[in-house]
Amino acid sequence: MKDRAKWKKIVGWTLFLIAIGFFCLQMGFLFLHVRYQVEYIDNRIFYMINLLFVVFLAVALLVLLKLKNSHQVIIASIGVIFFLTNIVLLENSNQQIRNITSISPSLSKIFSVKENVQSGEAIYYRPYYGILARPKEVLENKINGNNKVKWLAKDIAVLTYKDKNGDIQQFVGTYGDRKGGLSYYYVGAEIHGVWQGDNVTVTSGPDGINVTVGNESELFSWENLEQFGTLAIVLKKDNEAVWTIALKENFEVHSDASKPTVGNISLYKATMEENQPIILNYIDSN
Amino acid sequence: MRNYLLILSVLMVTAIIVGTYYYQNLEHNYTLPQLNLRNNLQEETPNEIENTPLQPVNDDPISYSLQNDELTITYNKGKDWIKVPVDKNLLFNGEYQGNKQELIEGSYVLSEERLAFLYKQVGLNMKYTTDQGNTWQDSVIAEEFPELRFRKIAFLNDSFGYVIVSGDRTMSQEYSTVFLTFDSGKTWTKTEDPPTTRMIAFGSFVDEKTGFLSYGTINPEAPDVYVTQDGGKVWRHARLSIPAPYGKVFVQAEAPFIEEDHLAVLVNQGPNGDYEGGLVKGKFISKDNGLTWEFLQEVEPDEG
Repeated sequence: MKDRAKWKKIVGWTLFLIAIGFFCLQMGFLFLHVRYQVEYIDNRIFYMINLLFVVFLAVALLVLLKLKNSHQVIIASIGVIFFLTNIVLLENSNQQIRNITSISPSLSKIFSVKENVQSGEAIYYRPYYGILARPKEVLENKINGNNKVKWLAKDIAVLTYKDKNGDIQQFVGTYGDRKGGLSYYYVGAEIHGVWQGDNVTVTSGPDGINVTVGNESELFSWENLEQFGTLAIVLKKDNEAVWTIALKENFEVHSDASKPTVGNISLYKATMEENQPIILNYIDSN
Repeated sequence: MRNYLLILSVLMVTAIIVGTYYYQNLEHNYTLPQLNLRNNLQEETPNEIENTPLQPVNDDPISYSLQNDELTITYNKGKDWIKVPVDKNLLFNGEYQGNKQELIEGSYVLSEERLAFLYKQVGLNMKYTTDQGNTWQDSVIAEEFPELRFRKIAFLNDSFGYVIVSGDRTMSQEYSTVFLTFDSGKTWTKTEDPPTTRMIAFGSFVDEKTGFLSYGTINPEAPDVYVTQDGGKVWRHARLSIPAPYGKVFVQAEAPFIEEDHLAVLVNQGPNGDYEGGLVKGKFISKDNGLTWEFLQEVEPDEG
């Protein structure tokens, strides 16, 4: 009996401390939010933390305090009302700001775009400390409806979506570098040469990048390439994305052009259908 | 111990509720990043704005929009738009409190024959077109004019128009005057100044010679109307005979108008009137072209 009371106390206090932890997190967040425009990487996290806070607090109080039944009911009711309110707010929030969030397969990176449902305007967020994020960039085109996110490497995520003209667009979030972060480089120039994969050949040459699928060949001049970070380029035609080329993790960028090209690149078609990237191997320097 | 625990819990829950409420209200304006903006964002923004469809401010056949910080006119309920080449802010120069989503009442003319807009820089100007926006002209009404308050522009026919303006207000005294044009707005001449510095409430001309200025805006006790019958050379005090029961009830004359063979004016109860709900007006008529006015009847607001 004594043991039970002891355990109850330990559990109760632990829950209470966790609730305080959530409280401090939330207050800290609000401060950072107002002061530095920091947001949760997904807006729903705010409400989820509220939910966790109230659950832990309510259970802690019920366990720790010897309360009359009526008082227990009051605490439980307040908890339930708070809980339900936050569920409603959470739903509501996601109808105003749609979160496009994707965690990388290695669970180490988060891709986050928040879309204002009403205006269609979408903003790319850069994550900080796991769950926090700050706005980084406004997407060039407004998102219209469906979209999908694909990780082409552990640090490269591609968002494919249709814009308001019905054109397919691709936006790439990059979270790394292949040159130790020392300097900027051009992906198109780094992949100079001929690359081959399953029924596909990509040639990066002086005129631009040529993509051959089966018998069909298409040249994308340098003006029609958009680079994201130092890891990926989107090949465009008539203002519409056609392909994304990304440098795989094993790709090595070196300043010395005489050194052999090492690693793979990934070619990913811009389509709303479910598709897989094609891995290409280096064949020739042209 | 138990009480500390409860108090701490209540405090935390309260703080979270307040925080959530605060966060909830912030939500709308924090979607736009103000940090790390892409450099070309500034160039893109105007295009984005231009793409938002314009919405006429009302259902009138000729209407306008002030969206995108521009004044644009439509003759066909928003299908086609004509941009007015005038800086939007100049249209609101002077004493104005509002969100600049609608033009100041009386400061513009929208008709098939003419679009005209009063605006203020150093002087007082009018931007106008008589060919539905194909060509625009500027005319100078006054080379210089003090801080503008009341403004009204109107045209009675193709050539004759008037501008009634006031400005330079200090407390409840101000300068008010009238400009007339007889050549469709190309040139303007100032009339004699009316002999009062009270604040103007209404004004109008009923023909090229006869005009009225009605004063008293804050706590009027009786209508205070000046009339000219010679195109503004002389302003005389008009006499309104107010029957005893209506003394201090009908206190602010509106703009007179022509009715059958006489002139008529509605006199309202001013901002503080409470007779019959405060909206009933007194109708007065004048058979000597505005010098003296007799009470005719009470008018319900919607008849006026």
